[in-house]
Amino acid sequence: MKGIARRLAGHLARGLVMIWVVLTFTFVIVSIMPGDPVQAEYELLLQQGHSPQQAEAQTAMLHRFRPTGSVLEQYLEYMGSLLRLDLGQSVVTRVDVSTILGEATRWTVIPVLIGTVLSFVLGVLIGVYAAIKRSGKLGDALTLSGSLLRGLPDFVVALILAAIFATLWPVLPRSGAVNILYEPGFNLDYILSLGQHAILPIATYAISSYGGWILAMKSSVVTVLGDDFILAAELRGMKRSVIFRYIARNAILPLFTIFALSIAALFSGAIFVERIFNYPGLGMLLINSIGRRDITVMTGAFLLITAAVIVANIVADMFYTVIDPRVRRAGDAA
Amino acid sequence: MTLTTPMSPDGPPSVRIRDLTVVYRTAAGELPAVRDVSMDLAPGTVTGLVGESGSGKSTLALSLLNAVQPPGRISAGSVDIGGLGDVVQLRGDKLRQARGGQIGYVFQAAQNSLNPLKTVGKQLLDLGRSHDVKDLRALVAEARDLLARMGLDGARVLDSYQHELSGGMRQRVGIMLALVLNAHVVVLDEPTTALDMITQANILEIIREIHAERGLTTLVITHDIGVVAEVADEIAVMYGGRLVEQGPVRAVLGDPHHPYTRGLIQAIPRLTGDIDEAQALPGRPPTLTTIPDQGCVFRSRCALRMDVCDTVDPLFQSTGDRMVACHAVAPAATFTTTTSESEREMTPSRAWSGIGSGRREPAADGDGVVARETNEGDSA
Repeated sequence: MKGIARRLAGHLARGLVMIWVVLTFTFVIVSIMPGDPVQAEYELLLQQGHSPQQAEAQTAMLHRFRPTGSVLEQYLEYMGSLLRLDLGQSVVTRVDVSTILGEATRWTVIPVLIGTVLSFVLGVLIGVYAAIKRSGKLGDALTLSGSLLRGLPDFVVALILAAIFATLWPVLPRSGAVNILYEPGFNLDYILSLGQHAILPIATYAISSYGGWILAMKSSVVTVLGDDFILAAELRGMKRSVIFRYIARNAILPLFTIFALSIAALFSGAIFVERIFNYPGLGMLLINSIGRRDITVMTGAFLLITAAVIVANIVADMFYTVIDPRVRRAGDAA
Repeated sequence: MTLTTPMSPDGPPSVRIRDLTVVYRTAAGELPAVRDVSMDLAPGTVTGLVGESGSGKSTLALSLLNAVQPPGRISAGSVDIGGLGDVVQLRGDKLRQARGGQIGYVFQAAQNSLNPLKTVGKQLLDLGRSHDVKDLRALVAEARDLLARMGLDGARVLDSYQHELSGGMRQRVGIMLALVLNAHVVVLDEPTTALDMITQANILEIIREIHAERGLTTLVITHDIGVVAEVADEIAVMYGGRLVEQGPVRAVLGDPHHPYTRGLIQAIPRLTGDIDEAQALPGRPPTLTTIPDQGCVFRSRCALRMDVCDTVDPLFQSTGDRMVACHAVAPAATFTTTTSESEREMTPSRAWSGIGSGRREPAADGDGVVARETNEGDSA
């Protein structure tokens, strides 16, 4: 256990360093980006007759970026506010960035999670089947379907689904997260509308990642089937159920890492899909904030996506530590 | 040590392999990896099975557990194991229970024969449950005992994962798992390959000790004649899927009859003397696709090759203290036993049936006759 705690502490430290690096990059990019709205606002306030001090105080309070002062001072101020977990307010709407992010995250995390879990479970089961039947026609067909789907980017899947189910055969809503006519809350109409709107994005996430699961699981099972300990277990007269558990546990091990990473990747990968379905998640938020030069929201979204990837990495590694004794004991010894 | 260590009222089981043929499905059809092998493992003996890679020795070993892996299958013959009957006919749970229960199989040390995600102890419990062992505590105690006798700290090993054990330790764990359910027939597949010399000697000593202690019938598969000399009572030599010579270790190694066995022994470099004294056999062993489908499998590399070798399979027959399959050797011996008498009589009829079925070229006709005449002439 001591080993696990040490490992976790090491990961967290590295994670924080990585977040700091990304934030610094973000800061640099934002400060050299053309069309700085803070500067624009500052000049606007000056024109309106405010004193430079007043204008500066107001923009700083609003945006967390000091329009004057050295770049270093701006940077330190920005980092300081982040340390206080203060993301500032939206330049455009003046709403707290944390509120905006929280709202958008819901629309991304839930559909992405459902879609990924769905495709993981389906892909793993079908992958095992394709591995066992690998010399048959059905096994070949399943593997081929995996290869084809794996080559298809998520936005293409999204467009195809939208074309079929929202345009050619309009059974599902084309855009948005819910029909605004319904009262938000725990009522049937609202929930049904939520579900209807979520089907296409979820299906997109599921279909676009499912091919990868089939291929990964199939090759993993085939590798394990060829391992000596499986034949050894058979020659020792182990029950089929025992051998199946040996295969399953060993084969799924590498997939958990990919699973955690793919969830992180979908946070950012949702950009295209959310744009296509006009779904108000993090991806949409990021695109819109870039378009409006809404710097605070933009940096907040970057921060969140970075944190999600880093946390997913840590979770994947810690999970690995728990389920793979080779990693666990190595940590103990260190 | 033969027959002096009865473990049960019926005595320890022995193994009788008869006319065993194992084929592998390939693009060129089903090709035999083991052909017409007949062999006895006497109760309480250690038999060393030697042969080059691809000679079919591992396939033969797997046949003892009826565990030839697809695309291979046992196409003919029987493997009778005392107390079990013909293993080839066993199916389903009976076959599964026989594996591990009555026949233990020990893997090569370098191969990883343990589940990397479970401790040895947990895998031992899996084994016990698979074989419906009622008293798992007793099983664990027995395992600890076996490991202790092999010089290991049983409790610690049972609590270890595979990656925490050395090659020699893993091999001892493999032996423990093969014996813990009281198997009486044990197959060791290259038990010392990939181990260093000291560990190798250790493992061989353990094999001998436990073999004697438990009155096992043991088959050791190896390509190392030194291992056989060290540990075995009997030696069996395989070439191209055939058994070419079998007999007591001292007799066979001291005076090999089959030209292949002779070549093998000449190829071993000696500690004393010039390295050039070791002579490699010319040519290469046949693969599954290049094994001739008639005649002697060794003839292309044989110094004693005769016309008859091209067309007629030499029979595996007794020549006094051993069995040999060679036209150049077998006829010289005097036949006394009834089995060899009946086998000898089968030679011509087999040759004829092959010709009669039309699968062979007409040109073989004459050779078949010659073969029969040769056989009859020599035995007279």
